[in-house]
Amino acid sequence: MSADEQLTPHALTHLTRGTQVALITLLVGALCLVLEPLVPWLVIWPAEWVLPATDWVGAGLKWFLEGIKPVARLFSELMRYPMNWANAALGATPWPIVIGLVTALGWYIGGLPMAALGFLGLSFVLSSGYWPQSMNTLALVAVSVPLALILGGAIGILANEVPRVKSVVQAVLDVMQTVPTFAYLTPLLLLFGFGPVVGLIASAIYAAPPMARNVMLGLERVEPEIKEAAIMSGGTRFQQLFQVEIPSATTQIMIGVNQCLMAALSMVIIAAVIGGFNDIGWEVLLTMRKAQFGEALLAGMVIVVFAVIIDRMSGALATERKRHDRRVVWALVAFGVVFTALFWSSLPNASEFTLMDPVAGAVDSGLTAFTQANGPWLDALKNNSMFYVLLPLRIGLDQAVLPFTWGFAWTPAMSYGLFAAGAVIAALMAWRGHATGGLMVLIGIGMLETGIANLPWPFVLSGTAALGWVAGGRKLALMSVILLSTILVSGLWERALLSLYLSGAAVFACAVVGGAIGLLSAVSETAWKIVRPICDMLQTIPLFVFLIPVLMVFQIGEFSAFLAICAYAVVPMIRYTRHGLVNTPDEMMEAAISSGATEWQILRDIRAPYAAPTILLGLNQTILYAFAMLVIAALIGTTGLGQSIYLALGQADVGLGISAGAAMAILALIADRMVQGFAEERRQALGL
Amino acid sequence: MTEANTPAIACRKLWQVFGDGAEKALTDALARSGNDADKAADLLRDAGMIPAVQDANFEVHDGELFVIMGLSGSGKSTLIRCISQLLSGTGGEIRIDGEDVRGASKKRLTALRRQKLGMVFQHFGLFPHMTVTENVAYPLRVQGISRAERTERAREVISLVGLEGREDSFPRQLSGGQRQRVGIARSLAVNPDIWFLDEPFSALDPLIRRQLQDEFLNIQATLKKSIVFITHDIAEALKLADRIAIMRDGKIVQIGTPTEIVLHPVDDYVREFSKDVAKGQHAIVSSVMREGETQFGPDDPGLQTGMTLDAALAKCMNLYEPVPVRDSSGEVVGIVHPSDLAAALQVDEA
Repeated sequence: MSADEQLTPHALTHLTRGTQVALITLLVGALCLVLEPLVPWLVIWPAEWVLPATDWVGAGLKWFLEGIKPVARLFSELMRYPMNWANAALGATPWPIVIGLVTALGWYIGGLPMAALGFLGLSFVLSSGYWPQSMNTLALVAVSVPLALILGGAIGILANEVPRVKSVVQAVLDVMQTVPTFAYLTPLLLLFGFGPVVGLIASAIYAAPPMARNVMLGLERVEPEIKEAAIMSGGTRFQQLFQVEIPSATTQIMIGVNQCLMAALSMVIIAAVIGGFNDIGWEVLLTMRKAQFGEALLAGMVIVVFAVIIDRMSGALATERKRHDRRVVWALVAFGVVFTALFWSSLPNASEFTLMDPVAGAVDSGLTAFTQANGPWLDALKNNSMFYVLLPLRIGLDQAVLPFTWGFAWTPAMSYGLFAAGAVIAALMAWRGHATGGLMVLIGIGMLETGIANLPWPFVLSGTAALGWVAGGRKLALMSVILLSTILVSGLWERALLSLYLSGAAVFACAVVGGAIGLLSAVSETAWKIVRPICDMLQTIPLFVFLIPVLMVFQIGEFSAFLAICAYAVVPMIRYTRHGLVNTPDEMMEAAISSGATEWQILRDIRAPYAAPTILLGLNQTILYAFAMLVIAALIGTTGLGQSIYLALGQADVGLGISAGAAMAILALIADRMVQGFAEERRQALGL
Repeated sequence: MTEANTPAIACRKLWQVFGDGAEKALTDALARSGNDADKAADLLRDAGMIPAVQDANFEVHDGELFVIMGLSGSGKSTLIRCISQLLSGTGGEIRIDGEDVRGASKKRLTALRRQKLGMVFQHFGLFPHMTVTENVAYPLRVQGISRAERTERAREVISLVGLEGREDSFPRQLSGGQRQRVGIARSLAVNPDIWFLDEPFSALDPLIRRQLQDEFLNIQATLKKSIVFITHDIAEALKLADRIAIMRDGKIVQIGTPTEIVLHPVDDYVREFSKDVAKGQHAIVSSVMREGETQFGPDDPGLQTGMTLDAALAKCMNLYEPVPVRDSSGEVVGIVHPSDLAAALQVDEA
C-alpha cells in the first residue's frame, strides 16, 4: 500500500479501499459537524421520526406469549415436581452424607486432588452457614442441567443428521448466545410467572447452546475414516451414530457438558434477580443491597467454590481417562453415613454454622477501615479516570472539559486548534505513505471532540459501513447498516451509543492491558505461571460475583461497572495473545534466528504478524464478553441498553426488554462479524 | 486368473462428479460432447465441477488382486469409495457379483456390507473407544450376533493377522503396524468375498510396510478374495498385483499386468512411473517369448515362462542364438532371442 502511494501521491484513483472509505467517513463526519447548527437532525435523530417499534414488539410478543401461556404454565407445573424432589433430596440429606458423596465422586474422577477439592470446598460452604441456600441453588442446577443436556444434545444431533438444518441451527445458537441473559428473563417471567421455574428454564435455555455446539463440533470432527469404517461394517445409521460416532466424540461432548454446567450455574445465580427463591444468588443480591459487603463476599465465595468444584470435576471427566479405586469410593460414602448415624442426635443444623461470620464481620470492618484510610487515593483514582478518560470519551471534550474539573473551559478555538493539529499529523502521515492511518487519526480526534454518545448518526452508519466493507465486503457492510438502522428508528439509539461507549472503553482497556499481559506471559514463563491460574479463576467465576469486590471499593457507578467488565473481559485477550505469540512454528523461529534476528526483532517481525489472526480472535471474544458483562453491570449502575433491559425486567415490559436485548445482540453481532472478517483476512494473507 | 461368467466387480462408464447439480451437469456434458469422456470432463471443469472419476471401465475377476495406482489427487480413493458405495457415483454402473449396487436401496447396501464387503483404510479408521477385540467384532455386533460368538470369531481373525495377546488393548496403545493389523482383521471378520484396501500400508514405515505386504500376500494365498487395492507406490503395485489400473486426473490411462505396465507403457505418464523400477525384476520371460516357434540354437540354458528377465538374462550372458522356453510342466512352448531380452530392459531409452 505504502509503496504504491509514494509513487503516485496525487492520484486519488490509486488509493486503497481502506483509504477511500476512511476518507468518505471523515467527510461525512465533518459535514455533520459543520451542518449541525443548520440541520440539527443530522446529529440527533428527531424524536418524531422514531417508530414505536418497542411497543409493536411488546404487543406482538404479548399476544404470542398469551397464546402459549397455558402450555407454558402446564410445563411450569410439571417442572415443579422434579424441582421439589431435587430440593427435598438435597435439602433433607444430612450434610455429612452430601460431603461424603461429593468427596467420593471427586476421588473416583480425579483421585486425591479432586477428593480434597470436594471435601475442603464443601467444608467451607458448611462453615459459611450458607448450606441450605447452596443446596437450593444446586437443586436448580441439578434439574436444569439435564434439561439443557437433552435439549442441546438433541439440537446438536439434529443439526448433524440434517445438513439443511445446520446453518439455521448455527444462526439460532449465535443469537441465543449474543442476546443478553436478562433479556429473555422478561418474556419467561410473563410465561411462567414468578418463581424458581423461570430461573430453571432460563438457565436451561442459556446452557443448551454450548452443549449443542460441542456435540456438533465433536461429531463433525470424528475422523472420516472412522465414519466410513462404521458404514462398511454394515451398521445402520442409528448404530453408526450411537455405537461409533458419539462415543468417538466423547471428549468434545464432555467439554460441552462442562460448559453446560458452568453456564447453568451462572444463569441460575443471575436469575436470582427475579427473586422468589431462597438461593445463594439471592443471598448475594440481598446482602449487596444492604451494603453488607462482608456477607456478600462470603456468599460470593461460596458461589466461586461451587463453580470451581463443578468445573474442575467435570473438566477432569472430559480429559482424564483414568478412574480411581472404587473401594475408596464406597469407604468415603460409608464414612459419611456412619458419621451421620453416630452423631444423629447431636448433628448440628447446617444453617447454624457461623464459623465464617467473624470473618465476614472482619472483612466488613476491615473494608471500612481500608476505604477510610485510602479514601482520598481511591477517590482520586476513580474521579481522575472518570473526569479525564471516561467522561470525555462519552460526551466529548467540548462538554467534558469544565473549569470545575479540568481547571479551564473548552472554547471553540481549542476545537479548531485540536483539529488543526490533527490535520497536520494526518498530512505528515499521508506524506510518509500512511494515508489511511492519518485519516484514522483525524477521525479519532473528531470522535474525541464530539464524544461517542453524541456522534452524529450518519457518521456512525457510514463508519460502520466502511469498516464492514473493509472487513467482509459489501454483504457485511449492508447487513451492518440495516441492523443499525433498525436500532436508529426504534428509538434505542442513544442508549445503544451509551452501551457502545462503555463497552468500547472497556474493550480498549482490555486490549491494551490484556495484550501487554499476554505479551509478558509469552516472553516470560514465570509470568505465565502466575497469570495462568488467575485467568483460570476469572473464567470460572460466575459473572455476578465480579460485581461484589468492585462495589465494595468503588461503590455504585459507571467506574465500578467499567472495572467489572474489564476484569471479566480481559481474560480472552491475555490467553489468545499469549497463545498466538507462543505458537509460532519452530521452523519459522529457526529461520529467523539463523538469519541473525534479535529477540525483539523476532517478536516484532515474525511472531506478532503470525499471531495477528489469533489475537484478533481474542479481541473478538473480549468484545462478546464485554457485552455479556455490560448487562450484568447494569445492576450496579450503568446507563444504556443494559439498564433498559434491567428496567424492563422490573416492569415486566416485554417489548422494551426484547428490543433492548435485540439491540444489544445486534451490536455484539456486528462487532463479532467485523473482527472475524479482519481475522479471516489476516489468516488468508498468511495462507493459514 | 480363471475367467468366471460374472466378474466379482464390474464398472461401466462410471463417473463421480463433485459440485452442485452434478448429476444433471454430467448428463448435459455427455450429451453435448457426444459421449466423448475427455470432452465431457473438460465441459464439467469449465462449469466449475470436479470430475474426480471419469468414465471408469474395468472388471475384477473372482480371486483377482486388482491394484489401482495413481498419484494423490488422481481419483483413486474416490473410485474405491464409489465401488464400496461410500460415494454413490454420479453416472454409469457398478455391479458386484452381477448385482447393480448403484441402484440398490440403503437396506440392501447394509446387507451387502454385512455379508460380502470388507474395507481397510489408510489411517486405519479404528474406533478409539473399543478394544482390539471389540473393534474386530464390531461388524458382527451390528448384525446382532451374540457376544460369545462374535468374540470367538474375532479371536480367529486376530490370530490370523498375528495379534494374539493384544486382544484387550485399545488402539492408542498399539503401534502403526499393529493398528493396521486390527484394521485388516476387522475387515475380514465377516469373511467377505470382496475386499477393499485403500492405501493400507502407506502410513507405515518402509520395513513394517514390507513385512505387512508379505503377510498380506500370504493371507490372500489362503483366502483368495477378490481385491481392489489402492496405492500410490509403483513398487507395491508391481509386487502385489495380478492386474494394475493406472489413474491420472480422474481417468484410467492403462490397465494391464505388471509386465505389460513395465514393458509396454501406453504413454509418458505411465513410463515415468516405471522408470525407476528395475524392469528385469518385474517382467517375465513369457512377455518377450515368441510363442509357438521351435527353431532354436544348440544351447539350452533352461528358461521357463515365469522366470524374471533378470534371471533369464543371467543365464544367456554369452548366447547369441534363440533358446527354448519351457512352461512349468517342462514342455517347450516357444523361443527367446537373447537380444530381445536385452532390448526389453532398455525399452525406455529407445
